[in-house]
Amino acid sequence: MAKAILTLTLNGRPREDAVSHNVLLIDYLREIAHLTGTKMGCDGGECGACTVLVDDRPRLSCITLAHSVAGKRVETIEGGARDGRLSQLQRAFHERLGSQCGYCTPGMIMAAEGLLRRTPKPSTEEIRQGLSGNICRCTGYTKIIEAVRVAAGDAT
Amino acid sequence: MNDAPPAHAPPRLVGERVPPRLVGERVPLIDGVEKVSGAAKYTADFTHADALVGRIWRSPYSHADILDVDVSEARALPGVVAVLTGDDCDVPFGILPIAQNEYPLARQRVRYRGDPVAAVAAVDEATAERALSLIRMRVTPLPAYCDPKSARAPGAVPLHENRPGNLERDVHHQFGDVDAGFAAADIIVERSYACAEVTHVQMEPDASLAAYDAERDRITLHTVSQVPYYVHLKVAQCLGMDTSQIRVVKPFIGGGFGHRTETLNFEIIACLLARAARGRVRLKLSREETMITHRGRPRTDVTVKVGVTRDGKITACTCETVQAGGAYGGYGIVTVLYAGSLLNAIYDIPAVRYDGYRIYTNTPPCGAMRGHGSVNVRYAFESLLDEIAREIQTDPIELRRRNLLRAPLRTINDLMVESYGLPACLDYVEQASGWRERRGRLPKGKGLGIACSHYVSGAAKPVHWTGEPHAVVNLKLDFDGGITLLTGAADIGQGSSTILAQIVGDVLGLDLSRLTVVANDSRITPKDNGSYSSRVTFMVGNAALEAAKNLKTLLVAAAARKLEAQPGDIECLGEVYRVRGSQDPGLPFGAVVKEALAESGTITVKGTFMVPRKYQGGSYRGAAVGPSMAYSYAAAVAEVTIDEDSGRVTVDKVWAAHDCGYALNPLSVEGQVQGAVWMGLGQALSEEIRYHDGLPVAANMIDYRVPTIVESPDIEVKIVESVDPNGPFGAKEASEGALASVIPAVANAVYDAIGIRLRETPMTPDRVLAAIERHERAQRRNRPGRAA
Amino acid sequence: MEFMPEFRVLRPASVEDAVAARRDDPDACLLAGGTDLVPNIRRGIVAPRTIVDVSEVAEMRDIRERDGEVRIGASVTLAELIEHPIIRQRFSVLVQAASEVAASSHRQVATVGGNLCLDTRCVYYNQSEWWRRSNDYCFKHQGEICHVAPKTVACFAAYSGDLAPAFIVLDGAVEVAGPDGNRVMPLPEMYRDDGRDHLRLGPGEMVVAVRVPAADSWHCGYVKARVRSAIDFPLAGVAAAVKLQAGSLAGLRVALTGTNAMPLLLQGTEDLVGAPLDDDAIDRLVALIPKQIQPMTSTVTPPGYRRRVVANMTRTLLRRLSAEARR
Repeated sequence: MAKAILTLTLNGRPREDAVSHNVLLIDYLREIAHLTGTKMGCDGGECGACTVLVDDRPRLSCITLAHSVAGKRVETIEGGARDGRLSQLQRAFHERLGSQCGYCTPGMIMAAEGLLRRTPKPSTEEIRQGLSGNICRCTGYTKIIEAVRVAAGDAT
Repeated sequence: MNDAPPAHAPPRLVGERVPPRLVGERVPLIDGVEKVSGAAKYTADFTHADALVGRIWRSPYSHADILDVDVSEARALPGVVAVLTGDDCDVPFGILPIAQNEYPLARQRVRYRGDPVAAVAAVDEATAERALSLIRMRVTPLPAYCDPKSARAPGAVPLHENRPGNLERDVHHQFGDVDAGFAAADIIVERSYACAEVTHVQMEPDASLAAYDAERDRITLHTVSQVPYYVHLKVAQCLGMDTSQIRVVKPFIGGGFGHRTETLNFEIIACLLARAARGRVRLKLSREETMITHRGRPRTDVTVKVGVTRDGKITACTCETVQAGGAYGGYGIVTVLYAGSLLNAIYDIPAVRYDGYRIYTNTPPCGAMRGHGSVNVRYAFESLLDEIAREIQTDPIELRRRNLLRAPLRTINDLMVESYGLPACLDYVEQASGWRERRGRLPKGKGLGIACSHYVSGAAKPVHWTGEPHAVVNLKLDFDGGITLLTGAADIGQGSSTILAQIVGDVLGLDLSRLTVVANDSRITPKDNGSYSSRVTFMVGNAALEAAKNLKTLLVAAAARKLEAQPGDIECLGEVYRVRGSQDPGLPFGAVVKEALAESGTITVKGTFMVPRKYQGGSYRGAAVGPSMAYSYAAAVAEVTIDEDSGRVTVDKVWAAHDCGYALNPLSVEGQVQGAVWMGLGQALSEEIRYHDGLPVAANMIDYRVPTIVESPDIEVKIVESVDPNGPFGAKEASEGALASVIPAVANAVYDAIGIRLRETPMTPDRVLAAIERHERAQRRNRPGRAA
Repeated sequence: MEFMPEFRVLRPASVEDAVAARRDDPDACLLAGGTDLVPNIRRGIVAPRTIVDVSEVAEMRDIRERDGEVRIGASVTLAELIEHPIIRQRFSVLVQAASEVAASSHRQVATVGGNLCLDTRCVYYNQSEWWRRSNDYCFKHQGEICHVAPKTVACFAAYSGDLAPAFIVLDGAVEVAGPDGNRVMPLPEMYRDDGRDHLRLGPGEMVVAVRVPAADSWHCGYVKARVRSAIDFPLAGVAAAVKLQAGSLAGLRVALTGTNAMPLLLQGTEDLVGAPLDDDAIDRLVALIPKQIQPMTSTVTPPGYRRRVVANMTRTLLRRLSAEARR
């Protein structure tokens, strides 16, 4: 099938790839850009494991066509670290056990990152709403909420 | 914040006089950085340009005899490299040696909708998809049975010829004098409960990557298993290959909860495809396929009868369960046995009779799921206790207190209880929830409920009895002063690798930076039975403890040589070894290592663990299921609000206390308990597998309702430490025992809130609203004087 | 890679171009946020050869106000709708309804037009190709039977959008563009009670915007029955708008979703106008519902429940609005 050039900024770096129209953003990220941190957890839009940021907003990459993000800024979990050190959210998820098996974690952290950019000091209720599309099967969410509050500087 | 050392890292000062403790500390997961940074590689993350795409063609029929499977067109399609059917493997598999009745690809008969029939390896997804569409199967349909009643009906066609009446296993156990027990009772209450089928929904869909080395006739399999060792055995068996030619690697695993405690069909299929294609095959299942592969908790009907004296002492109990097991054996026999054996070892019940029936049905196979076997019976029993408490006008916590065990003891069915923190669990949840002050005084529609539960810390008898130790851990110490911990224990997110590293580091007084854990590569790591029955902390932890002690002995001896002292006089401070009581700076760890390696070279030590015979249970048929060296205990109080308009139950808060013996890692214990309680909430409130003529209607994450973060309550955990005499540092399991208590705690809270007893799970809005309306109709009928 | 059928995606810059793009392929699908269409493509229940992405069409992207009337472009996302100051201040029922849709990540891209035109849903339809083939398909897609009601020739897939009832009680109208020009129609007229074909849009027609008249004297609300607090589609949803004058009802509109193949404006409410909105009036209103709705076993939750919960929710919502209006 015919491909078209997809131009975007991926984790701060400009990219150009020849991509078919029918390729999902998640497959572009995982199989073309080789960033496998973004996870597929369901058969389409049901679990949030594939969440990435597009122009600062959370987006479910498993139900987004790659070409839909043409010209935009896409951020994945791999883009979180700075100078090789974890971001505040990543560190808080690690230290507060907001991640157990780790499979929902990339999507969860990206959704939380999107939330904190919109609402830097979210209330617990706002955290629940901001992560409402991200299913975690390990933690029962209690420590995820704690991790987000810690990262937001709202808890110690 | 970025520059701060990790919270757990103790300062490393030469000459420091106290070795750092790792055990008992809130240590983050040793592989947590990989998980939060996206670097962790799960099975589907191994992208290879040369990997073929594997796909499975599944039965559209619930029950049928196969006449033929025509794959000729699929085989002829350009880009298709291999197409397999049941003809390509005639070796059955199954986790229990006595119930191996499943083929990787169905032979002669299909037994549920979704049963794998054929498999394809092709150059890309589109070709694989097209190939699947060209496969045809001709069958003679057979009557299908999606529930135990129809499967057991006279004249029903058996799914398996050696199981007439579709009875996979019936269990009839009686311990103590049940008749005398009931005769001594003042009150006898009997009730029936029904629990819907539920499934694991671990976040990572199933996947395998199999690579066949045609030059050497070898297979390397990366797969999502909790039991890589059993996968290794079954792959070798089904492919007719020597086990030495198979290598099984467990990468990061996105949860399991029991789904992956047996070899699953797709893992063998991936290997069959790789060999047939003479290359590498990546087989990724969809969420739907993962939910059809299933192995979850079966639909269970439970009838419990309990007799009590007027002052609340239980005198006898009978219990009957019927489980809809699905189409193949799997762990079914174990599930139906656990349901009976774990009626015991939580309360003091002098006489228990259990009748269990595991039935084959034309639905995806059920299996082990967190709290395996115990959960549905515990829900029934704890709900019944609540009813009895009301009947004899006793506080439900008080009723439980009157029936506590006194450890140590051997139960009537030969289970050994040597540590028992349930009394402290009850005390905590009573106090923390404000039970005495608040219960009965909450606003309308709000209520509190209590229940208890327990679970094994490792099955005392492994699935395959080989005579080997239950667990082996190797430690390698080399010139670099780094220690490599080699284990076959499968970390699936529960944090087992972290616990093992903590134990070893603690014994040696070293911090985690000296330790590397290598887990699950059959070429490198010692065999382990796997992550099931909450065995890893207890059994593998004990093996790690022994290995660390063995290594320490060598290091102490080396230090003694160097310091010209007796080993008994050497004090190990982790980074420093010195003569006890001396003021010398002592020997740094590096120097001790150098001395230790001087003549032997690289050191490899081993620790093993074996469950002594006296913990392995009785000698009656079925006695092997239930025995464990230690049992965890839990109590939960749930606070709920019921919206009478919608029938929706909201859990506002859960207080959970869990006796894990000793918290090797309190952070991790909290996380495990919260996860278990929350998974129980899902079963209590919203999760349910349903079938339409054998097709699962909720094989997705919209209709199968795993709770979201929005309605999930805060779960407050209290760790109770009963310090088990046999656990490593006194530890017992922490991840299963708390699950079962929360389901009846919610049901009991619902009764407390609105006076209605729900005897069916999940307590979805439709069931609650229907129960409210039934209750209102009944109340109107009972007040004849009032106008309708 | 996930298997995806082959298609081409067009990205018109204007409504005119979008209409033109669809003229060439009448089966072309519109794409905005993709939260409804792409899962359906992944399940094989739609396989368009052409997709027309209207998410960036400028005329469909903004919220404008003129003379009290608000025009909301069809490609405005639910998050934008929820965050918009005019909507927050004057049309809070839209904020309530939009906030109930799916989960926050979906709402970042899901659009007003997409939610209004949401495909109908059914447990026998929203399944994989393997599942539906094993079940002999159904009327809605490739089949000859309705598994919900095997003796009928109708399709009972349920309309499951949250926004439509809110717009309906606000007396909203849709701007439609098509090959034969543009038209405006009251929102209820866009729907028909047929799960196979629930939108009364001609070939190549598309929703460009929704218009809502000023509603400052109305008290409105939306409530939704669901099992979980996020992600779930409505088992049923009720929106109501109430206007009181001197203690009596001057206007009343009630709309339902999740009960039929279309969102439903409850008929017969005008009979209550002029009387006080007391419990008696509310009972009379609730009594209108059973005859007008037809929930079927299109969800895993039984239809009897959806019937009962609609009545309960409507009663409670109207009591609440009545109290609000009297304050």
